[in-house]
Amino acid sequence: MRSISRSIAVPNLPEEKPRFRALSSIDGGLVLAALCLALIGLATVHSASSEMTVDYLPRQAAWIGLGVILLVLAMAIDYHVLLDFSLVLYLLGLASLVAVFFIGVKRGGATCWIQVGPWQFQPSELAKLATALFLARFLAGLNRRILDLPQIAAAIGLVALPMLLIVVEPDMGGAAMFAPLLAGMLLVAGVRWRLLLISTLLVAVAVAGLWSFGMKPYQRQRVITFLQPESDPLGAGYQVRQSKIAVGSGELMGKGYMQGTQSQLRFLPARHTDFIMAVLAEEWGFLGVATVIGFYILFIVSGARIAMRARDRAGILLVVGLLSVFCFHVLYNSAMVVGFLPITGIPIPFLSYGGTFILFNFVATGLILGVDLRRYVNR
Amino acid sequence: MKVVREYRDDLVQRVRLLTYGVAGLLVLIAAGFWFVQIVQGDYYRELADNNRLRKLPIQAPRGLMLDRKGRILVENIPAYNLMIDRSRSANLRRSLEFAGEVLGRPAADMTALMERYRGTADFKPVLVGENLSLSQVARIGVSNLEHPEFEVEVQNFRLYRHGAQTAHVLGYLGEATTDEVEAAGGRLAGGDLVGKKGLERRYDAQLRGRDGERVVVVDSRGQLLEEYGKQPAVPGTNLTLTLDLDLQEEAAHWLDGPEKVGAIVALDPRNGEILALVSSPSFNSNLFSRRLQADDWKALIEEPYNPLQDRALQNTYSPGSTFKMVMATAGLTEGVVGEHDRVFCPGYTVIYNHPFRCWRKEGHGSVDLHSAIEHSCDVYFYHLGQKLGIERIARYARLFGLGSPTGVDVEGEKRGVVPDQAWSLLTRKAPWYPGETISVAIGQGPVLLTPLQMAVMTAVVANGGKRVVPHLVRGAAVPPPQPVGAGDPEFRQRLERALGVVRQGLWAVVNDQGGTAYGTVHLDGADIAGKTGSVQVVAQKVRTEAKNLPFQYRDHGWFTSFAPVADPKIVLVVFAEHGGGSHGATPIAKALYEKYLALDRRPQPS
Repeated sequence: MRSISRSIAVPNLPEEKPRFRALSSIDGGLVLAALCLALIGLATVHSASSEMTVDYLPRQAAWIGLGVILLVLAMAIDYHVLLDFSLVLYLLGLASLVAVFFIGVKRGGATCWIQVGPWQFQPSELAKLATALFLARFLAGLNRRILDLPQIAAAIGLVALPMLLIVVEPDMGGAAMFAPLLAGMLLVAGVRWRLLLISTLLVAVAVAGLWSFGMKPYQRQRVITFLQPESDPLGAGYQVRQSKIAVGSGELMGKGYMQGTQSQLRFLPARHTDFIMAVLAEEWGFLGVATVIGFYILFIVSGARIAMRARDRAGILLVVGLLSVFCFHVLYNSAMVVGFLPITGIPIPFLSYGGTFILFNFVATGLILGVDLRRYVNR
Repeated sequence: MKVVREYRDDLVQRVRLLTYGVAGLLVLIAAGFWFVQIVQGDYYRELADNNRLRKLPIQAPRGLMLDRKGRILVENIPAYNLMIDRSRSANLRRSLEFAGEVLGRPAADMTALMERYRGTADFKPVLVGENLSLSQVARIGVSNLEHPEFEVEVQNFRLYRHGAQTAHVLGYLGEATTDEVEAAGGRLAGGDLVGKKGLERRYDAQLRGRDGERVVVVDSRGQLLEEYGKQPAVPGTNLTLTLDLDLQEEAAHWLDGPEKVGAIVALDPRNGEILALVSSPSFNSNLFSRRLQADDWKALIEEPYNPLQDRALQNTYSPGSTFKMVMATAGLTEGVVGEHDRVFCPGYTVIYNHPFRCWRKEGHGSVDLHSAIEHSCDVYFYHLGQKLGIERIARYARLFGLGSPTGVDVEGEKRGVVPDQAWSLLTRKAPWYPGETISVAIGQGPVLLTPLQMAVMTAVVANGGKRVVPHLVRGAAVPPPQPVGAGDPEFRQRLERALGVVRQGLWAVVNDQGGTAYGTVHLDGADIAGKTGSVQVVAQKVRTEAKNLPFQYRDHGWFTSFAPVADPKIVLVVFAEHGGGSHGATPIAKALYEKYLALDRRPQPS
């Protein structure tokens, strides 16, 4: 913790170079889960795009390759260094979000991309990482068992700033991802049960009240379309139905690779991105779904184990923040595919096609591994 | 070393709790999959097998293009394709026999056709026959109960009513490339047709409209039971062009045939509206409406003089003597020569120790600016060029719009070349020779322009010094005509006076007995003003009659003009590539003016 509270007097110890307890201490479960999921995703993206003009397989492979490189880089950097610079990173993230308004590229109604040479990237993913780091540093510095109200308010404000900028873009899905980040880290950092209960109730009552009494029907409709800009012109009902037909008709064993009639016949929209799970479920059946969910559980449990054995508060909180975003994506997307939750553009980690999102997953994995590698290191 | 491990156990405890929570939720979701896939699996499997919901695209009709008088230039016509879904066929051999019978083709043909689709999954409909007649469509419809595997697909095709005559202007469609699909951000799908050339490309977004779709519930035989949802198509916008079809047809007619290569531009010098734009040789744009056949493509690209090239704006040429209107304007405006200063032309002159010949060996005798334009005396302009120098010539050429794109609303125009010292150093890595200035003075040497730029340049003379942006679509967002050098009123005054003198000279070219175009273009009452130009293609020691030379060695011919001189309403440029000098261009110009006068009797005698 020395690195993030430099004001505390420190005995003069010789600066030690960080040394790893050999690479063999890398968490095998986490790496295995990530790589298997990425490979399964690669094959499924190929199948899903077989009837499209573009086969997304080569691009997805390139993104994964780049992701692995970034993973190694993120793992190699001591997260204490990143925490030291987290304020700068956080401000940079904010700056890039503001920059979007001036030099951003419009795609599908929302201005949330920046063009760098031939590449387009979403600053919101960058801001998410930076916010996770900065929030970890902030909460780690509050050395208490339970946070008090002003501290919670400060943490919320810290996350609300980039979140609002993304809401204005408008990219609802991107902004929503900050919520699990905040919630996961706050919960672990310590929130009174009573406060949690009261605030949950308050929010629920406020939303329900506004929805039932404060809004006219057309406004409600507007909110629905606002929350789902990418929904099918023929209504989200069509998408849910098609997704369920694809999933259900897979039955236990699936129809076989590249044999999914629903996915191949273009019934399923966004089948290479948000609905990749439906393609998988149709072609590989429940066995395929169970395998994939198994890998997700392996990833989450391994990640949580890393958090629990991290050497300091900051390490725990950083891993929890990243893992929370990951869990939210997995939970929401799979629940949406099987028809439990309304449709929004939330992809599923490692499986869905999409450049910046893949990179985010790999970088996050790298950061988590990096925390783990330094669990014995005395710096 | 202070290591903060306080409350660590609390944190770890909460992480553990959260993990249990998330894992529990995941198990719950897995149970959801179990329910949908195993418990309800058969139900969904049946739904999927029957394809009960079908998404049928509704093609948005593409916008039409009309000429300025509202006559249709391109429209959409429906075509019917026969598709087969082999997974629905009870007996594929019988199905193919039936298809062969309807289409009037032997069953063996059909079997061979199916071989091509071997790698395609059975449930994907594949093409059996294109362009069915209405009676064939009816037969398929009647047999629907016996042969539910067949389906007729309607597709709209573009029909360019005037084919080759408007090919370069209107352009054509083609299947969207991967890049175009990506760039359209969801508005295009693979296999969609998009504009590839000309106005079809430039105004693709307006013309295309937005496809709709219908979701219908069908039974297991593919019969429509009910409509589940519908998103109507939004038709594309119709475009009214500035073109006058009569003039366009007439112009195309005069450039049609073997050994007719060149371009014609007619535009309104008051606003830049293009009345006719023709490039020859041309091609039948309807060839591109269906999938272009390999043979047709091969024939097109192997044809001499590249028909796909739009010579009016994608090729650059030397302006020849037409450039003298720029020279004369520059000389007068700069005060380098007076209107009545005279030069003696003995048929040649010596500048920088080098003889420069006038096109007329006998010479023109004593000439002033007016008669120098009228007779196109080279010697007069050699001296003027020497006095002006290349920098000033280049400046005026740019004022006339040369060396930069005109801004026309068709993609791919060339910018041409206005040479000067800087250009020479940059592109040739060598200084400019003063001797070259003398060639530039009569429009030879490195100066290059497109026929469209020639029209813009002529419009500047015609409308009293305003640069127009030529355009093809009425109401296109183009800037209004810009007076050149507007910031300097004193300059504007000199320029406008000079242009008046030049216009008189150009009028004399067509209307004085001795003018270079009097014999070929003069029309009573039309008050045409213009300038001829010839561009040598190969150096000749002895002048050879054009008809005795192989076509590709013959001189290019220019005639650029406007009418009526007092209040110009049309600028007409005729460029005859290898036309054997300006005589290849002038008769066409005369014919077009006759047509133009007959059309709306607008240019009145002044």
